[in-house]
Amino acid sequence: MTKEIRSDLKYTDSHEWLKIKENTAIIGITDYAQSELTDIVFAELPEVGKELIKGDELCVVESVKSVSEIYTPISGKVIRINEKLEDTPEVINESPYDDGWLVELMIKNMKELEDLLDAKSYKEKI
Amino acid sequence: MLLKSPLNNIHKELGAKFKEFAGFEMPLQFTSIIDEHLTVRKTVGLFDVSHMSNVWISGKDAEKLLTLTTLEDASKIKDGMSQYTAILREDGTIIDDTIFMHLGEKYMIMPNAGMSDEVTGWLNKKSEEHNICATAENVSRDYIILAIQGPKSRDTLQKLIDVDLKKVGFFACRFINISDVECIISHTGYTGELGFELQINNLEKAKNLFYKILEAGREFNIKPIGLGARDTLRIEKCFLLAGNEFDGGRTPLEAIMSWVIDWDHDFIGKDSLLIQKERGDYHRLTSLECIDKGIPRHGCEVQNEGKKIGIVTSGTLSPCLNKGLAMAYVHPDFREKDRILDVIIRGRQVKAKVVKPPFVKKDWFKQN
Repeated sequence: MTKEIRSDLKYTDSHEWLKIKENTAIIGITDYAQSELTDIVFAELPEVGKELIKGDELCVVESVKSVSEIYTPISGKVIRINEKLEDTPEVINESPYDDGWLVELMIKNMKELEDLLDAKSYKEKI
Repeated sequence: MLLKSPLNNIHKELGAKFKEFAGFEMPLQFTSIIDEHLTVRKTVGLFDVSHMSNVWISGKDAEKLLTLTTLEDASKIKDGMSQYTAILREDGTIIDDTIFMHLGEKYMIMPNAGMSDEVTGWLNKKSEEHNICATAENVSRDYIILAIQGPKSRDTLQKLIDVDLKKVGFFACRFINISDVECIISHTGYTGELGFELQINNLEKAKNLFYKILEAGREFNIKPIGLGARDTLRIEKCFLLAGNEFDGGRTPLEAIMSWVIDWDHDFIGKDSLLIQKERGDYHRLTSLECIDKGIPRHGCEVQNEGKKIGIVTSGTLSPCLNKGLAMAYVHPDFREKDRILDVIIRGRQVKAKVVKPPFVKKDWFKQN
């Protein structure tokens, strides 16, 4: 089954996607990532207001057999988290680009966006 | 070097995701661990567990050797019956847990994956030291092992066998012909459900039989099951896993195996166990069911009011109960039923309740 990649998003080597809007970024994991994890049963999200530097642990996503730390691809402040994931973490598997979003950050350093991959480059990676 | 199950290509065909386990590349899952887990609990699943070991014990004193080296007095296990037991060192610690099957003049034991050389070596060494006329022979490479488990497992297998399977009682074992394949069958398993295990020493026929069982179970929605679900199934029933609940340093008293110990015979490790039993202050395996959200993992600390009083050896999310579960060694003063303890998961205190095992009872679907 081919993995979905959306052309309007940015990506990282470690299979996160970012939807950039002016000065905020919504972050999630890609279809490829969720298919590797399969049944996601727990998501531990950061506190709203937390300040993060690129490379810090953003959140943890757990399947039955594995714990996956997700590191933030950009520096920023957590302004919103997807509370739906508390009761239905499996939504990340079902809808990784829409309902399964993880965190929204206020972007601290716009220059960091240049290091991100576009859809074409990400597709080549996988 | 990574060994593979002889059925590796079949698993590839069926779309398995693989993982290394005890030096073997084995299927972790085919579809989803949760789906496979619930399939076994509700209907029937087929496992390839060929990474497990097979050792024949033969010779006129085979029974004596087992009696000396295990927790069981083997004279009590009649021909056609099997028994769950453990092999101990002199200091009482567990080398391995295993089932042994009494099959005529010989016994077959199934040490855990990766343990066949150590167990075979130990048995032969003790046989020589104690002048026992018996030998252990490692035949793990010759056998494929299949497990068929779930409420519809017997109905599925019955379609392929002439013998009335209802006559193969719990823990019974025998040679049997299944669809023209000679096997050893035992009414045993690692899931807590009705089920059977098959030992087959013909590779081509075993491959065929795997497909035949999937075909026979089609009307019951049978699925191939990976080791991921095997682990969640056994944790729900509080069964031990070598390497987790014991890894060189635990005794059967600590692992709550006293129900398996036959104290009326002499066995290696008995003296040490008696001393430990007398002292009574050892940590014991305890079943913890999470109240807060979180999934305990191997190595998580267990605390009571901020003080460490235990450690998790196996943890997971229970697909049946949708809760985090932990098997943990806990200080004897803090493990009475219903006590609330804290499991520390990535720095967070997750409340968990001590429960009486197993976590998932026979009528689990009524539990929630």
